[in-house]
Amino acid sequence: MNRTLLIARREFAAYAKTVGFWLSLLAFPMFAVLGGAIPILMRTSEPVRAVVLVEEGPGAQGLAGSVRDALRADAERRAENARRAQEQAAKATGMPKEAVAAAEKQGGGLSASLNRQRLRIVDTPAALASAAPGEAQTEAARDLLTADVERDQRIDSIVFLTRDATGKPSARVWTRRATDDTVEDFVRDALKTTNRREVFEGAGIDGAVVTDTERFRPEVTAFSPQSVSGGEVSFRDRLPTIIGLASAFILWSLIITGASILLNSVMEEKSNKILEVLLSSASATEILTGKVLGVALLTLTVMLVWVGIGAAGLIGTRPDWAADVASVITEGGMIWYFVAYAVGGYLMYAVLFAAIGAFCETPRDAQTLMGPIMMILVIPIIVVQMALRTPDAPLVKIMSWIPFFTPFLMPARAPADPPPVEVFGTMAGMFATALLMVWIAGRAFRAGALSDVKLSWKTFGHAIRSGGR
Amino acid sequence: MAAALTLDGIGKRYGEFQAVRDLSFSVERGTICGFLGPNGAGKTSTLRMILGLQPQTEGRLEILGAPDGRKVRDRIGFLPEERGLYKKMTPIDAIAFFGALKGLPTGEGKRRARAMLKDQGLEHAQTKKMKELSKGMAQKVQLIASVVHGPEFVILDEPFSGLDPVNQQGLEAMIRGLAANGSTVLFSTHVMQHAERLCDKVVLLARGRKAFEGTVDEAKATTRRFLELEGEIAEDAAKALPGVVAVETLRTEGAVRVLKAQLAPGGRGQDALKAAFLGGLDVRRFELREPTLHDAFIGLTGDDPDQDQTVRRETVSEAAR
Repeated sequence: MNRTLLIARREFAAYAKTVGFWLSLLAFPMFAVLGGAIPILMRTSEPVRAVVLVEEGPGAQGLAGSVRDALRADAERRAENARRAQEQAAKATGMPKEAVAAAEKQGGGLSASLNRQRLRIVDTPAALASAAPGEAQTEAARDLLTADVERDQRIDSIVFLTRDATGKPSARVWTRRATDDTVEDFVRDALKTTNRREVFEGAGIDGAVVTDTERFRPEVTAFSPQSVSGGEVSFRDRLPTIIGLASAFILWSLIITGASILLNSVMEEKSNKILEVLLSSASATEILTGKVLGVALLTLTVMLVWVGIGAAGLIGTRPDWAADVASVITEGGMIWYFVAYAVGGYLMYAVLFAAIGAFCETPRDAQTLMGPIMMILVIPIIVVQMALRTPDAPLVKIMSWIPFFTPFLMPARAPADPPPVEVFGTMAGMFATALLMVWIAGRAFRAGALSDVKLSWKTFGHAIRSGGR
Repeated sequence: MAAALTLDGIGKRYGEFQAVRDLSFSVERGTICGFLGPNGAGKTSTLRMILGLQPQTEGRLEILGAPDGRKVRDRIGFLPEERGLYKKMTPIDAIAFFGALKGLPTGEGKRRARAMLKDQGLEHAQTKKMKELSKGMAQKVQLIASVVHGPEFVILDEPFSGLDPVNQQGLEAMIRGLAANGSTVLFSTHVMQHAERLCDKVVLLARGRKAFEGTVDEAKATTRRFLELEGEIAEDAAKALPGVVAVETLRTEGAVRVLKAQLAPGGRGQDALKAAFLGGLDVRRFELREPTLHDAFIGLTGDDPDQDQTVRRETVSEAAR
């Protein structure tokens, strides 16, 4: 086996044989799942708040009823959402609706749980009902909200409904926890609706008409000649944009991860004085190539595992989406974009990070150069979001031509079919820069490996000029 | 005897700083050559030039018939001054890996590694990780890693530094073994005793220049034998003794002096001592000393090999940058 492959194999094995590598590799999909699961868990575990409604004076009469109506309407909307979720599940899995409902029930009723109400109206406690309006009533509310009682007997909020000087509905909301604004928000919306209805009724418009009007949700359908059907825009049509965004983020993440592994690996060899031994056995080019190749294999492993987990998850839950994703990736040629930009981007950053590592024994030594580089690397992540909505924006176009940003911005623009001159021009620029970086990094690596000078822009520049001579 | 290594007027300049200048010497095949000098004298720079890790700025060199160590990389073994191996690797894997880089098949590398570790009494450490080994053990493993492929030329940069006396003795045995098996060994050190015991030839380097090239005996012959006298003795009285050519006071404790009386070539210490006693000099202790390589080094260069010249060099180096 030649020296480059030997070094690549050792580099790969040094990481792939560690438990930490596999744990960190699985961390991304795990956090992705957690990222989706945590809001669901938060919503399902959120308590239903017990609310007492108190109408203050004859002017406020009917406001409690309005809040109850709003709560009822909210319950209907949530039930409708749960029903739709079950319908979608039945459609995706091909199971009968009854079976989905049964499975849902068996699984603890997730969709129902997600769509349950967040508050319930309870009867006014005697202590509050019998208290005289004003200070006594406020004092009674304080006592009720601080009382240490069982959860099912606890009152979370007391809402005093009233009308202001102009006759508009208003409320004072007392809550057990000052930071909990759920009831406050709900009451505000309910009173807003009440006021709207009263204003319309005052203008002679029937309340039922107002209610029906508010419930109306227009059906808006998007059409585009570029859609697959040539007309209506479907999820399938939006998929390339989603994949473009995902590609940009995955590439960014993989390239930075790979380059950082390389930086740490070279730093470790420098601090352990292994680089000098390696240099007596192989050329700087062989060492650099071997290390870059070994870490590329690691990065590829990470990507395959991530893609594998993602594909398995998608095929298991939404086989129709999985088929669409596969067709976009293969038929649209997006996979080639991904491969080309992954190779160019990785090469550019990996060799640069390796050269920096050759001057450093600790991460602190590398800070001088790594700080500005990492700041620059944040820019494409900001611009990539603009690239998805307006891929032809002048700023996006200009940034795409900057070779260090090309591997992240162009995959995001790919679904919008940028002109071939931009595709091939930016790609040529990226690969030319990658080759230049290989040349620069090779010289800096050779100089840094045997040097004991402190890393700075000046010494790095000097190393590139001297090439270790 | 054919030379395995020839340096002809080589020099190394870092910016304005001349680390090595006009250095010429040769090492014959199958011999052990000591490359001696204080830290910072230019030894490591020279070894790196021989290996092809750094190009010389002047002169030419030839190693194993090639103009550059890189061209005969697989035939050379190298142990750098600052040592380290992959901490998470086992000695067997580390030795086999470095052997493989030199063209030795991995299987054969592992087989040789086992045998060599056993020879060095490190059988028990074969499957441990490098980070679990003591410094002495790790140094032995690294030396094995640098010679596992059976190199024709072995370059060892300060191989004895950091080793305890027992391990130093073991390492000396290993170096003798390499030469016995036909390898040429060039090792640098600033500790003269190792060179005295091991070397067929020494090259003395001071401030980047060659101060001497020859055998240990030839080096010693450049320095005179001397008589060390202790007592209430005046320098002039000692200087008047037969065969004494120069006297130096090494230290004084009250009226008692320790004098170093250098003898003329062929001068006999016994004659000087006899005259001292007959002359009634207050000789309380005497010692007739043969010059060591250390003495020879000081005599030849005016420098003490234990004195560090690195500080001066780094200061100049920084200024040059």
